[in-house]
Amino acid sequence: MRKVILLFFIFVNLAYGYSYDDLLLKAQASIFPKIMLLDKKIENKLIEGRIIYTIVYEKNDYNTALEITKFIDENYNGHFNGYAYKINLVEFSDLSSMTQASAIYILNSDKDIKKVADIAKKKGIIAFSYDVKNLKAGLLFSLMLEKSTVLYMNKENLYIQKVDFVDSLLRMVKFIDKENS
Amino acid sequence: MKHKISHNSNRFSFILILLISLTNLSAQTDKLLESISSEMEHFNKVATLTKQNEHYQPYIISVFQGKELEKLGVANLKEALLLVPGADISTDNVNTQTPIFRGSNPLAYGQSKLFIDGISVNNLFFDAYSEYLSFPIEMIKRIEVVRGPGSKTDGFNAYAGSINVITYAEDFKDSASNDKLVFKYGSYDYRMGGFFKTYKTEDLKLFVDFFYQEDDKKISSGPDGLSQGIFGANNIALSKSGDAPLWLREYSLGVNLEYKDFSLKARMLEHTQGSAYGINLALPQESDRVKLPSYYLDLGYNKEVGSYEVNINAGVKYDTFDSKSKLLPDDLNISNIIFEDGIYGEHYAAQRTLYQSSYLKYSGINKHTITSGYRLIKEETIDMTSKLSNRATGDVALVDYTYTLPFFDKDAKRDTLIFSMQDEFQFNDDISFIYGFNYEQTSYKDAGLEPRVSMVYQLDTENIFKTIYSRSHRNASWQEMFTMNNRARVGSTDLKPEIVDAFEAAYIKKFSTDSYLQTNLFYLLNKDQIYNSSINPEYRNAVDTDIYGFEVEYKGNISSADQLYLNYSYVDGKSYTQDVGSSDSLPNVAHHLAKGYYIYNLDGDLSLSGVVKYVGSKDRVLGDTREKVKAYSSVDSSLHYKDPKYKYSATFSIKNIFNTNITYPSAPNTYIQDYAQERRTFLVTLKKEF
Repeated sequence: MRKVILLFFIFVNLAYGYSYDDLLLKAQASIFPKIMLLDKKIENKLIEGRIIYTIVYEKNDYNTALEITKFIDENYNGHFNGYAYKINLVEFSDLSSMTQASAIYILNSDKDIKKVADIAKKKGIIAFSYDVKNLKAGLLFSLMLEKSTVLYMNKENLYIQKVDFVDSLLRMVKFIDKENS
Repeated sequence: MKHKISHNSNRFSFILILLISLTNLSAQTDKLLESISSEMEHFNKVATLTKQNEHYQPYIISVFQGKELEKLGVANLKEALLLVPGADISTDNVNTQTPIFRGSNPLAYGQSKLFIDGISVNNLFFDAYSEYLSFPIEMIKRIEVVRGPGSKTDGFNAYAGSINVITYAEDFKDSASNDKLVFKYGSYDYRMGGFFKTYKTEDLKLFVDFFYQEDDKKISSGPDGLSQGIFGANNIALSKSGDAPLWLREYSLGVNLEYKDFSLKARMLEHTQGSAYGINLALPQESDRVKLPSYYLDLGYNKEVGSYEVNINAGVKYDTFDSKSKLLPDDLNISNIIFEDGIYGEHYAAQRTLYQSSYLKYSGINKHTITSGYRLIKEETIDMTSKLSNRATGDVALVDYTYTLPFFDKDAKRDTLIFSMQDEFQFNDDISFIYGFNYEQTSYKDAGLEPRVSMVYQLDTENIFKTIYSRSHRNASWQEMFTMNNRARVGSTDLKPEIVDAFEAAYIKKFSTDSYLQTNLFYLLNKDQIYNSSINPEYRNAVDTDIYGFEVEYKGNISSADQLYLNYSYVDGKSYTQDVGSSDSLPNVAHHLAKGYYIYNLDGDLSLSGVVKYVGSKDRVLGDTREKVKAYSSVDSSLHYKDPKYKYSATFSIKNIFNTNITYPSAPNTYIQDYAQERRTFLVTLKKEF
């Protein structure tokens, strides 16, 4: 029996899905679209008059990405504060600078997160991350459920993005940089 | 002039439109910011209540999600608790099983407290909650286990740990519980059926759970306690070996109701089990049984007004010890009275607990949240009968000894008042403190003032430190205070509470949002622990114990397709027995415990998992010359399938795959062999959600 179990784990090479904190996913899905609207240059990011909120996921996390989409649609009912939106689900491997996006939200991946950050910078859009550790790779925002709910922002990336946040938001966030991770 | 007026008018209009636009923009921005703040507050509240932010809380806690445990094939609360770092389990001759946290007094039952949806359910008779350990996992949304006494300053005394079981009656916006039907079948002809149902209107929420389960478990045991001469050398030959009746039959109905600011929580648990190894340590008959019913009803009022929050609760709880059994075998000879057909007995003791509590929380002072209030408890035995075969003639027919030779004090009662206060002080973004105290007075010996102080320091997103000092106590159980006319147990109302001073420190390294390594150090100074033995059956404050150790816990993944959880705990210390005047290593305690599970997601809907547990060897109590209790390791495995379209799931589990001999220690001079547990078993679970 021992050998059977061992062999099973060795030879099964299908890979399906990271585990996610369901409450954190919901918190981020509720709050991130509102953060995006606090960009004074949001109008410049509209694509065909709409906000394209792009969720980037690993193939195995497709169900998680769908759940987030469903949650956002139930909460926002087609409009982010008056702006029509579309949720675009894109696999990590398909993401490129040609991908339509007004903002990017990335789930977990073992791939090069810096590539995503570079695409976001090039496009001048905000990149949100499920995992706060990805801010070190150049993404802009994450949110954690700590003693209180904390919105993290990578200070270094703020100044090279083509975004301009209202000052009140900057007073709400906790800055993170390479020294203060 | 006209042109100038027109020009001025246009400029005025432009400025006005600009102002209106800016005002409008500013109003929209303010509205968005307000909405973000409100959402952040909402999720913070939910995360705190559901312990999602456990690493930032000022106590040592492990949280297990019911759905993850279902994937692992965990069947009930007991199996889930065996995954907790530093937690082991013990049993006794009536199979009152009790979790042991960090090796703290395995002989006592009330070392930890069990809460179901916030209601303390430890029974008064033993101060145990063995009857709830079979609570099916499908009815449990989450289990929060706080090790150490540092969890409570609100009128509850968690001595070595507290277990909070949250059912699916917990309801938040964004995370409603689904209605469900569950069926299970397994070894020992185990059958279970249950459901969870919700009903909601705008102001009213009603949650109902029900389950029925039974099995015919019996495990080969013996020779029984008579072999040790506990009823004299002339009865040793009557000792038997055979199947100990460990069967279960129980049903439970739980109702949670919320109406505006009011709540009602009620449960009726009817638990019946086989008489196991015998009240008098003689192997009982297959049909002999112990009933441990538990009922509670709690009414609550919760209101937030500005910076104030008030919580008022009142409730009643009933628990009963009800045994019908053949206590001793045919032809027993006691003081030359021959009991040709053996000795039969019926023991019944019903207890009632009434309580009322009021707490006020005030968060109007910058960075402080102060909570203060009281809890009043009135506990008493409301009915007791004691029947035995005729002690004078040896005739088997039952004689009512309720008034002449009762097994229990029928007038047992205790009143308790607990006053508590605590302040949660957020010093800055990184450092927070909680300090406070419980002050308790009872109608017997008081525990007095018990302080607690803790600090959480978050160095950065990856490193968190905690330190905790707390003092708590365990009041003697009814059995320890009021048992009488019994060879094995003699109660005493002179018992002082057991006291523990606990020093704890924790370091948490977060590798990512969902993976971490946590290390806990603890040093526990236990005074006046309550103890008895077959040589001196009177309960007394006889043992002081110093315990120290550490726990390491890891949760994360190896690949993107799996989940891995591992923990290891080490405990050591000295036990000083006052009346013998000698020190010894900790008896009945495994110094090394290691547990873990691994879930491999074969695809989005199918997973294969394994649970591994290692429990180290255990020293015997002083004077017990038997070999150490042997170490054991066990492996369980489960295949879980979930159909997201039709919302049903099926799980097939094999427990103890390698058929390991698992034993829990028996007390000296009772059963010479330790109490054997289940060998390899299987379980099939079907669940349908709506």
